[in-house]
Amino acid sequence: MSQLQVRFFTENAKYKVDDVPFSIPAASQVQDLSNIINKLLEAKHSKICHSNVEFDFLVRGNFLRTSLVNHMEAEGISTEEVVEIEYVQRFMAPQPEECIMHDDWISSVDTESEWILTGSYDKTARIWTQEGKAVMTVAGHTDVVKDVAWVKRDGVTSLLLTSSMDQTAILWEWNVERNKLKARHCCRGHAGSVDSIAVSPNQTKFCSGSWDKMLKIWSAVPTDKEDELEEQRDRPRKKQKTEQMGLTRTPIMTLSGHIEAVSSVLWSDNEEVCSASWDHTIRLWDVETGNMKSTLTGSKVFNCISYSPLCRRLASGSTDRHVRLWDPRSKDGSLVLLSLTSHTGWVTAVRWSPSNEQQLISGSLDCVVKLWDTRSCKAPLYDMAAHEDKVLCVDWREDGLLLSGGADNKLYTYRYSASTSAA
Amino acid sequence: MVKFLGSSRTPAAFLHGDIRNTVGNVPMEWYQDYPHIGYDLEGKKIFKPIRNKDELDEFLDKMENPDYWRTVHDKMTSTDIRLTDEQISLVHRLQSGQFGDVNFNEYEPYIDFFSGETMIHPVTNRPQDKRSFIPSLIEKEKVSKMVHAIKMGWIKPRKPKESDLQFYDLWAKEDPNAILGRHKMHVPAPKMKLPGHEESYNPPPEYLLTEEERLAWEQQDPEDRKLSFLPQKFSCLRSVPAYSRFIHERFERCLDLYLCPRQRKMRVNVDPEDLIPKLPKPRDLQPFPTIQSLIYRGHSSLVRCISLSPSGQWLASGSDDCTVRLWEVSTGRCMKTVEVGGAVRSIVWNPNPAICLVAVCFNETVVLLNPYLADKLVYNATDQLIASYVEPEEERPQPVQWQVPEIEDSDKGFRLIITHPKSVKQVTWHSKGDYLASVLSDNSNMQVLIHQVSKRRSQNPFRKNKGLVQCVSFHPIRPYFFVASQRCVRVYNLIKQELMKKLMANCKWISSMAIHPGGDNVICGSYDSRLSWFDLDLSTKPYKVLRHHKKALRGVAFHKNYPLFASGSDDGSVIVCHGMVYNDLLQNPLIVPVKVLKGHTLTHNLGVLDVAFHPTQPWVFSSGADATIRLFT
Repeated sequence: MSQLQVRFFTENAKYKVDDVPFSIPAASQVQDLSNIINKLLEAKHSKICHSNVEFDFLVRGNFLRTSLVNHMEAEGISTEEVVEIEYVQRFMAPQPEECIMHDDWISSVDTESEWILTGSYDKTARIWTQEGKAVMTVAGHTDVVKDVAWVKRDGVTSLLLTSSMDQTAILWEWNVERNKLKARHCCRGHAGSVDSIAVSPNQTKFCSGSWDKMLKIWSAVPTDKEDELEEQRDRPRKKQKTEQMGLTRTPIMTLSGHIEAVSSVLWSDNEEVCSASWDHTIRLWDVETGNMKSTLTGSKVFNCISYSPLCRRLASGSTDRHVRLWDPRSKDGSLVLLSLTSHTGWVTAVRWSPSNEQQLISGSLDCVVKLWDTRSCKAPLYDMAAHEDKVLCVDWREDGLLLSGGADNKLYTYRYSASTSAA
Repeated sequence: MVKFLGSSRTPAAFLHGDIRNTVGNVPMEWYQDYPHIGYDLEGKKIFKPIRNKDELDEFLDKMENPDYWRTVHDKMTSTDIRLTDEQISLVHRLQSGQFGDVNFNEYEPYIDFFSGETMIHPVTNRPQDKRSFIPSLIEKEKVSKMVHAIKMGWIKPRKPKESDLQFYDLWAKEDPNAILGRHKMHVPAPKMKLPGHEESYNPPPEYLLTEEERLAWEQQDPEDRKLSFLPQKFSCLRSVPAYSRFIHERFERCLDLYLCPRQRKMRVNVDPEDLIPKLPKPRDLQPFPTIQSLIYRGHSSLVRCISLSPSGQWLASGSDDCTVRLWEVSTGRCMKTVEVGGAVRSIVWNPNPAICLVAVCFNETVVLLNPYLADKLVYNATDQLIASYVEPEEERPQPVQWQVPEIEDSDKGFRLIITHPKSVKQVTWHSKGDYLASVLSDNSNMQVLIHQVSKRRSQNPFRKNKGLVQCVSFHPIRPYFFVASQRCVRVYNLIKQELMKKLMANCKWISSMAIHPGGDNVICGSYDSRLSWFDLDLSTKPYKVLRHHKKALRGVAFHKNYPLFASGSDDGSVIVCHGMVYNDLLQNPLIVPVKVLKGHTLTHNLGVLDVAFHPTQPWVFSSGADATIRLFT
């Protein structure tokens, strides 16, 4: 059996081994290498201090998934030289935690540190505890709730947002202690279903994207003043009052430029909004001036985008089954950094990890949620195939809670952590 | 014999006096006209006898004269000479090839004077002359004179003969690069096949023919035989006989060499692929739908018709389960289900984005349905528009009945009900969204009705029944109206009220029709599984007929923006074609089939019943007999 000269290194000081080349069998798999490292660590520390740790290995920044020699052949790495292999603690598979049943399809999900907010096709949004206990039903929309978002939490009151196919977004105030919900503002102005909302990082504004091709920027600060709405003059004032939830609010700014429906919006920082649309473009907008800054052009309809401030990349899910990574700063506009291909249906939701700059999850119409690492672009790290129907939304909370909801009326939560010790 | 006798002295001549003729050896005919025949030794004329012997004398002489046989006539002297016995015997001897002289000994011993034997002594013992071995002075003198003359240049060497070019390079002017060049045309003589194992004197047993094979071989024609000989086995090379077919084989070989065509035939080598017109590759014609993305499930019976909202957000479908369903395109969610009173034959979304109405036809009614799926302002405006109708002062006779629905129907979204006298099989909107045409299954002249929604008025545009109308359509831009009957499509000008064109579809039964958004091209699907593309500017015959489907076509559709059209068929497949129409009148439309989309399962021998394109994306929807609607992207 042929041997390979390898040298192991790691970032993690806890698992450092001596920097000497080893000769190992070329056909070694991940498990074999992991055993070697564990042996070395045992030899270095005493046997008591060291417990067995599963490792994952990267050769030139790509995860090792087959035998070492096959991987090097595929990557075109010479087997003559000493191979530098980085090892990191293996990410444990996401552990399923809860399955929260809904009455209807789940269109959207958003989490904050304690609560889970889901929007559903039964025209309501719901607030759940992490254990799957329904806390509050947010009813008030006259049509399907398409997107939900937490705005902020101020002691016992939380602000949350729901947007709906009834062309409005409603800003709600929820008192956690008394469990009272109050519609503070009804944001009117869109002429199509409001498919996506996003709250700015400083929590004072939010942006909505709608089927009517417009993006609108609104204030997210609840006030007691009602904005004037001119367009409904011909309707009796009284009737309008009874229908409406909360005070009417009009947009601060309207950003128009998309030529098709806007499917997803997000804030990349306090002054910049990013929107994905059915017209095959992702556009970046300056919120201060209302101008479009740049356009990233794809070839298919974009369903969703997500931005990671850690690696400053945009991830997009589109109707051609690929998750693509973009650099929004690039000036030439249409540079795809990476395509992650494994889904067999439209990618309906993507979400970057808030803590790890290399990981993201994606949900697709093929009923599977996939966990990706950008260092292993050929295949996802894990597939979560719990859903029985289309996956419509995913979310990733900072502490490693993954959520996915779909057309099977179920919201699945998973506990995922980068390492056993961190969990 | 006579000459011999005449020129020789014979003893008989001496007996009768010497009458020898002296004329010599000349032809006696020369003396025919003279009385004499020559001259004797004294120079006197020898006269011919007075009377020649005639035949009778000759005969008598022959009969009577015993010496007749030894009598010869001497022409020189005209006398008869009786030969003596010596003369007779001489004649006999000569006749038998013997020497004339009796005494001549032909076998006398041979005296060898000069024999071939080399003798040691010379015949003469004379010594050699001195001059025979001394160089000749005369010759030396002659040679020195010639040498001197050559040196002085008096004698010149013989000039070389100026020879004409007796031969020349026949192929000197030949172009070495010519296709028909000599060397290129060189065909080497065919080689003989090398002998194999069966030619061996002791072939392996598998090469020997069995009895049946041998019989078969013998019964075959020599031309058909695989082997020209029978393999034979001999114990040793010594016992191999001479090859009996050697001459035959050599002859055949000569024939082969001689008859072998040593000329290369310039065959026109055309790749059949090259004759096919160049069509662009489908992957260069992106985008077009390639894969099934969503399935809209919910209907319980076959879905006959689908229609997309102008915005592309909603999909309306009508089914045989007597419901109309409205779907969200992006997720496949059924947003609304509307019960109607019959199997829905046709459903069309109003193409005007400022109006939110769906025309649904079932049984004898056409219902205008407000699905409340659009901008709030739009659907409220639509309701107001319909409510704002004022009754005209004078009632006009109408072929149909316009009704405002009852409250429970109104809650379902019904806004207007148009009741026809017969069952309706198709409805279609004008692109402005005010006019609506419906097709009735009727054999009378009232097959097509055009309704105006804003005035709630209907009219029957055709006075005569010109065949069973299958479907109708409005021209997207101009005031033209397309009426497809079983075999042809008639194009009417609605303003001038006249027939403009009659497109002959070349098929048995048209099932569906779609008009290109530019308005100059029409496609027709037919039940005999053809799709005909008409270019109205070119001719009334189909510009192209596509026979890609295996079964009857049920629905055809054009995309609004992309150069795409699709056809759905009973074989369960949807075929998407690239159909580029150029503004340049000189360029004919480019039609390339790009994708066969499969997904529907066959139910009751029915596959795809309707196809529709998304208004903005290159997506195609198909509804099938398996109660599903599928989206291909």
